[in-house]
Amino acid sequence: MSKVMSWIDRRFPLTSFVKNSLTEYPTPRNLSYWWNFGSLAGVVLVIQIVTGVFLAMHYKPDSMLAFDSVEYIMRNVNYGWLIRFMHSTGATAFFAVIFIHMARTLYYGSYRAPRELMWWTGQGLLLLLMATAFMGYLLPWGQMSYWGAQVITNLFGAVPFLGDELVVWLRGDFVVGDATLTRFFALHYLTPFIIVAAVAIHLVALHTVRSSNPSGINLADKNNIPFHPYFTVKDLYGLCIFLIVYSYFVFYNPNMFIEADNYIPANPMQTPVHIVPEWYFLPFYAILRSVPDLLGGVIAMSISVMIFAAMPFLDRSKIPGGARYRPIYRAMFYLFIVDVLVLGYVGAKPPEGFLIPLGQIATFFYFAVFVFLPIISTYEEKWLRKRGLPAEVEQMMRCEELQKCERRQRKADRRKSER
Amino acid sequence: MKTILKIFLLGALLLSMTYVFASESSYPLADVDIAEDEASLKRGAMIYYNTCRLCHNLKYVTYKNLTEIGFSDKEINDLRGDILATEKLSSTSTKKALNELYGMVPPDLTLMAKARKQGPRYIYTLLTSYHETAENVYDNKLFPGIKMPDIFAYSVALTAEEKTTIENKAKDITSFLVWAADPRAQERKSLGIYVIGYLIILSTMFYFLMKRVWSRLDKET
Repeated sequence: MSKVMSWIDRRFPLTSFVKNSLTEYPTPRNLSYWWNFGSLAGVVLVIQIVTGVFLAMHYKPDSMLAFDSVEYIMRNVNYGWLIRFMHSTGATAFFAVIFIHMARTLYYGSYRAPRELMWWTGQGLLLLLMATAFMGYLLPWGQMSYWGAQVITNLFGAVPFLGDELVVWLRGDFVVGDATLTRFFALHYLTPFIIVAAVAIHLVALHTVRSSNPSGINLADKNNIPFHPYFTVKDLYGLCIFLIVYSYFVFYNPNMFIEADNYIPANPMQTPVHIVPEWYFLPFYAILRSVPDLLGGVIAMSISVMIFAAMPFLDRSKIPGGARYRPIYRAMFYLFIVDVLVLGYVGAKPPEGFLIPLGQIATFFYFAVFVFLPIISTYEEKWLRKRGLPAEVEQMMRCEELQKCERRQRKADRRKSER
Repeated sequence: MKTILKIFLLGALLLSMTYVFASESSYPLADVDIAEDEASLKRGAMIYYNTCRLCHNLKYVTYKNLTEIGFSDKEINDLRGDILATEKLSSTSTKKALNELYGMVPPDLTLMAKARKQGPRYIYTLLTSYHETAENVYDNKLFPGIKMPDIFAYSVALTAEEKTTIENKAKDITSFLVWAADPRAQERKSLGIYVIGYLIILSTMFYFLMKRVWSRLDKET
């Protein structure tokens, strides 16, 4: 065995790779279960790719055959119903896990230096995931698939000057049709592999800056433990719990996240009474509809997805631990979550009566949180410092200062010796 | 452990919200239990065969599929006559005739139990919401202006007994259509028990393994 390993190691750094990323990869020992969702997202990605490949073996990306081929998979392919429901439930699971992963990052301020690139690659992953989910949703070729794609591709018509050409270019036709279905299938098969590559980048960045932790600062070496076996077993336990919930939906409630209208084959001549996107797009859809002007709505919606990337600049507080030691930031975080839920509710309903002003207020609040964060976080820090921070936080900040100083000192020494 | 509890509470909150999100139709659907037993399924299949099939297709269900709900080969042979067993159950009227009669081809029924919100209750309510209007013609409370005639004559049923008979028929056809929309439901549910059971055992084992591995840390410090 050792002979084989040394043969390989001379040609490929296998032993050091396993050491660096598993058996000796230092991980903060105080991570809570909220830190399980990153690896869960990885597992869901694998589930989606594997089930997706098997679905593609039986699926027909042709507007005349697509709907029937999905029914064929569910009825006549061995365990086809299982593969299909795993894939459709997996889409929901993916977004649920990613949203929690993002909420954790926001709550604990994990986006702060030195993890900005993790946060931005994550933002890119979110966009890729949304694009993949949107294109995948067209493939069953049901009424909601068809009209959802019709509405969303229409939004590109709001782009000044190029709008109409852009919409035709995206659809490959003047309306969503066979050309659209075929290209969405091709891209839906492609983007997951781009996601895999982006995840690799996300992980390389992670292994450079290491996991954040609830305290918000980098822990001293003695408080870091090897990833394996401590976190492999913890992630496996979390994965099992997740799979129980996931299996409940796959086996006992698989149609919960599939709109009834999507079991009616796409009909370009008949618009459904009420077009709704999938649940994970609802808050953004509500923002789109809350702005009276189409172009304004499209811009607001795009910003609402992308604005998270600005968090490292918007949050000006130096107090570690995110919301933990910051009562105002914590209150803002919870209000923001409530606001997103309100937007989701508004997005699911037809825009009538009090829902229109409610959606507009919620949209305003959504952006206000980000716009006022720099001022609020600056004043919050001043106020907290005046009131006196808890001793442990003071100590942590001093400790981090110290670590930074030491690092600077070491660098300076090295430079000196080099000269 | 506290975090896991929090995560579950969050999930429960979000799930309860989806019930709020589900929009209600204007006419209340009857709250009815649809039986899943073989007898009811077979009765429903016969009602489809003798009545609904005049106009409606079941394009994803073949004669052979009927063995799955307890029809014997002989019974199926009697039903299909000289049609192949692998043929789909399709309407006895031509599209042209139906178009002349109703101005449209009546919808395929295979997926109806999934293609409407709360499909089973919708189908049952639709069949039992026919009533007679002042002009002595039928109409439907759930679907005003419906083109489908009141095939069970619910709107002119006089006694409570007659109505109950029709309601039972409606239940049977609903349970048959629920099967037609999702014929693998039984297989799915029975497999689910094993999968979830296995996962519960596995997660318990991982929990104790985790406790054991992590206890090494407490000894060190």
